[in-house]
Amino acid sequence: MEMLKIEKLNVNYGAIHAVRDVSVNIERGEIVTLIGANGAGKSSVIRAIMGLVKSRSGTMTYTSPRDNKPVSLQGKPAEAHVKLGIALSPEGRRILPQLTVEENLALGAYIRDDVKGIADDIEYVYSLFPRLKERHRQKGSTLSGGEQQMLAVGRALMSRPDLLMLDEPSLGLAPILVEEVFEIIRTINSQGKTILLVEQNAFAALKVAHKAYVLEVGAVGLSGTGAELLNNPKVQAAYLGG
Amino acid sequence: MRRTRNLLLTVIAVVLFAVFLDHAPDFLNGYWQRILNLIAINAILALSLNLIYGITGMFSLGHAGFMAIGAYVSALLVLSPAQKNAMWILEDIYPWLLNVNSPFIVSLIAAGVAAAFFGLLVAIPVLRLGGDYLGIATLGFAEIIRILITNTARLTNGSLGLKGIPAYTTLFMSWGCLGVVLLCMVCMLRSNFGGVLRAVRDDEVAAKMMGINTFRVKVIAFTLGCFGGGLGGALMGNLITTIDPRMFMITQTYNILMIIVVGGLGSVTGSIIGSVLVTTMLEWLRFVENPITLGSFTIPGIPGMRMVIFSLLLIIVIIFRREGIMGMREFSWDIFFPKPKPKPKAEHDTSGNVLEVRDVVLKFGGLTAIDTLTFDIKRGQIMGLIGPNGAGKTSAFNVISGFYKPTTGTIRFLGKSIGGLTPDEVCKAGMSRTFQNIRLFGHETVLQNVMTGSRVRQSYAWWQTLLPFVFTDVIREDARVRAQAMNLLEQLGLDEFAEEKASSLPYGAQRRLEIARALATRPEFLLLDEPAAGMNPQESEELLQFIRRLRDEFHLTILLIEHDMKVVMNVCDYIHVLDQGVHIAQGTPDEIKANPRVIEAYLGKGAA
Amino acid sequence: MNLNIFIQHFINALSLGSLYGLVAVGYTMVYGILRLINFAHGDIFMLGAYFVYFATIVYKLPWAVGVVTAIILTTICGLLVDRIAYRPLREAPRISALISAIGVSFFIENFAVVVFTGMPRPVVQPPILMKPIELSGGVRLIPLGILVPVVSFVLVGCLLWLLYRTKPGLAMRAISFDIETTRMMGVSVNKIIALAFGLGSALAAVAGIMWALRYPRVEPFMGMTPGIKAFIAAVFGGIGSVPGAMIGGLILGFVEIMSVAFFPTLSGYKDAFAFLLLILILLFRPTGLLGEKLEDKI
Repeated sequence: MEMLKIEKLNVNYGAIHAVRDVSVNIERGEIVTLIGANGAGKSSVIRAIMGLVKSRSGTMTYTSPRDNKPVSLQGKPAEAHVKLGIALSPEGRRILPQLTVEENLALGAYIRDDVKGIADDIEYVYSLFPRLKERHRQKGSTLSGGEQQMLAVGRALMSRPDLLMLDEPSLGLAPILVEEVFEIIRTINSQGKTILLVEQNAFAALKVAHKAYVLEVGAVGLSGTGAELLNNPKVQAAYLGG
Repeated sequence: MRRTRNLLLTVIAVVLFAVFLDHAPDFLNGYWQRILNLIAINAILALSLNLIYGITGMFSLGHAGFMAIGAYVSALLVLSPAQKNAMWILEDIYPWLLNVNSPFIVSLIAAGVAAAFFGLLVAIPVLRLGGDYLGIATLGFAEIIRILITNTARLTNGSLGLKGIPAYTTLFMSWGCLGVVLLCMVCMLRSNFGGVLRAVRDDEVAAKMMGINTFRVKVIAFTLGCFGGGLGGALMGNLITTIDPRMFMITQTYNILMIIVVGGLGSVTGSIIGSVLVTTMLEWLRFVENPITLGSFTIPGIPGMRMVIFSLLLIIVIIFRREGIMGMREFSWDIFFPKPKPKPKAEHDTSGNVLEVRDVVLKFGGLTAIDTLTFDIKRGQIMGLIGPNGAGKTSAFNVISGFYKPTTGTIRFLGKSIGGLTPDEVCKAGMSRTFQNIRLFGHETVLQNVMTGSRVRQSYAWWQTLLPFVFTDVIREDARVRAQAMNLLEQLGLDEFAEEKASSLPYGAQRRLEIARALATRPEFLLLDEPAAGMNPQESEELLQFIRRLRDEFHLTILLIEHDMKVVMNVCDYIHVLDQGVHIAQGTPDEIKANPRVIEAYLGKGAA
Repeated sequence: MNLNIFIQHFINALSLGSLYGLVAVGYTMVYGILRLINFAHGDIFMLGAYFVYFATIVYKLPWAVGVVTAIILTTICGLLVDRIAYRPLREAPRISALISAIGVSFFIENFAVVVFTGMPRPVVQPPILMKPIELSGGVRLIPLGILVPVVSFVLVGCLLWLLYRTKPGLAMRAISFDIETTRMMGVSVNKIIALAFGLGSALAAVAGIMWALRYPRVEPFMGMTPGIKAFIAAVFGGIGSVPGAMIGGLILGFVEIMSVAFFPTLSGYKDAFAFLLLILILLFRPTGLLGEKLEDKI
């Protein structure tokens, strides 16, 4: 079942043409990853999907599993996306530094009103990331980089999204933590969430992804299944340091 | 040719205007003459506030206070002893003050100097504040000045104010003063020092790295602006002939602020146009407050209506045309003539260790950004610094270039310790850098960006730029710097963009411009922060060649942060690897590629 | 100075300080979110005073009804100001919004002159608030002097409850740190900003009403000086912090009243203290008493 279909997306920042004719297709239940070098336009794609930057042209059609009705995401503000079932864990984590861990999570559930369900989901996030539970009353700014990343993912889960977008979840994390994060991504996916993953750590991302797109200077260079790209000599040379 | 033509046109315009002023009293009544005078005074005030705010970027709300100082100083100097004796009724005037008297011109200069002196006193403590805080602090000072004037009756006659001030402000006086202010300001803004002022506004951090002591520059601009405020206040007092502390409330500052916003922040032309528009509009709108008679009907005037309409217009302007009438553009005779193209020429020289970093630790609160970093860079080397995001690479750059002080450890540059130096001092010592997120002076032309980089190597003083015809060094050096800058642009393939706005350049060109600007400070050592970020493979290939050329042609030593492994492995002679602030490896590119720790932390297991 | 007089001064300072505090809270909320000095806030305060004057004295409504009407009308004005003059400028450079704020301030003041005339109007105080209460030791208190701080503290307490215990409050705190991230969480940012303006205006209305009762008169420019001082109080307490605004207001109130009480010769300089205090704190602790440190990013 198709979930998000992006066709010929173009994004500009002033004179910089950051995204050029990018087309991406996401099926329900998949992990799809966008990989590519720093500045290749990966984050711009995700930010355009979320409505945080205006795209110059192209279509973005989202079909929610809730009602199976395709809607255009073009021109919708970010807050409307959450109600459609799309959530983003942004690059750089963007934890609210003066709010506690629990308040950050509660903010993630802002669109919901079911007190009981929210409490259950907070427990669910704590079960995914037990360290957050230990620190639930601490301010976001006191968390380590890894804990902040967990909180960012947990916060995105709090709106009960159908499509979870993760922008560079392994950025700046110690190698052991990176593995943990990808393990969690797999778990979340196995529990039924579709995932769009933007990653610089191409190797790790390709290993978990069902489908992958390689972005080069704003355009899709290659695409294929995670395994295909993992074994592609060009990809190995360019992104896997081989 | 173009210069002579423009100069001639300017002279003709000035003469024509002088003739107009000379004959104005023949056909203009007192009311219109007063408006003309007010326009000139408001223009002086607007120009001076624009220098502080629009051009140098310091949000000041204190102009009314400096006007008050100027108005009082001048009035006290020109009032006759007999007038003073009659005016001070509640308390006695200080005896020394009673007999002080001076010609009007002297009083004007004294007014400007007094305001500038207070401005300097205010500037040194408060200019360390940024943004809105500066605005509020200056507003506070203006209020304090006003309250002081109210309460020092022996000096100022307190809340009664001063009356009967001789009406010395004639058309020639006010417009003459405006002419002088305008001439000095235009000269200064056209010199390379003017570029420095705008650079401080556009990006203070980058300006520091160009060797500019930005604090000093701000103090100078602020003090000069206050001089203008004092001068304007003095002219105002001698026009209205009555002053009291209530004239110099915050509303007065708002008025001037509105003029520069309507005209265009940062535009001299805009300030003049704004003064004409706002002054006449405010006067013209008085009709709504006077009764209007239509035949047998009389509509009563509505007090307050004038400001209601005026404030509405202001809100509409700011919502629908927020850059004002001129934006940051300036008037030039060139707009009447087709555009010719310019042409220009320049140089460089130099041998042990350029940089020695010893046991440097950098902590922010509890967070250790860099944990004991030690390395040397030999002259002529291209050194790479790599590591995952958040590894402390940029922090290392910031410590080396003086933006952060190391918590412990020493840094020696060209044999001298630079641990405690500020970025501008580090730059003067011969180091320059670029920034990860490109920090250009976006509103300035490409050429001006590079010229600002050269300011640190120029010898003339800022005040000489006020009178370039006297201090011809200014003109000569600026010409030389301009030629060098053009030459640099040519070498970097940017000459075709020389007159474009820096922010309008394509991305790759902006990166090169940032390097050109850094080269203009004539460094021996260059730090490049992710120069290949956002470049495609072909562009990064070109960058590779370019970095090598930089070393060979400009005799540079280079330290490079880069994620693009191809660039790093190909161009660097030696590489250091950081991970979470810890220096985990060093070696030649081949050694690094084979180092297991590096692979695990950074390159990814797939590399193994 | 005997105890009785000292207590009078103390109550006076408490009232004045809590009024500054109430107005300061409105500044601090808006600044915390939009980094905008809402220069019109002092004029909103003035509108509150005028509305209650018209409701109770001209239209002879009962005080309770008049006060509620005035608060509602003032809140509507505050929301309109945001919608018309600030919202179109959300993406604009901050100076634009600031100039717009100055424009709005001018507009409201002069509109008041046009509609209400520039003449100050006396406010008739309800006798019940003015009847002195005799305490032991000959201390006499006027109920109004107690009412003002009590109302202020209760209201700020309610606001704190709202900020720290409710969802819109959570969103409001989140917005002040990171508008974009908050938006990603599904929060309609403009609604929350409007809420901040609404709450700030309501508090300013209450302050304006109490101010009008204390200095029994209203005039179009009455909001200017208290407005600027309240902003100073907000900066003093640490801009963005609601408790800080209240503490800043109280300190300012005490400094003003006590300095004049103890050094009557300085009374002419009364208004200068606020500014002096401000400049001192900016120099030694630029983020105010309770403000968070903002780091420059290179």
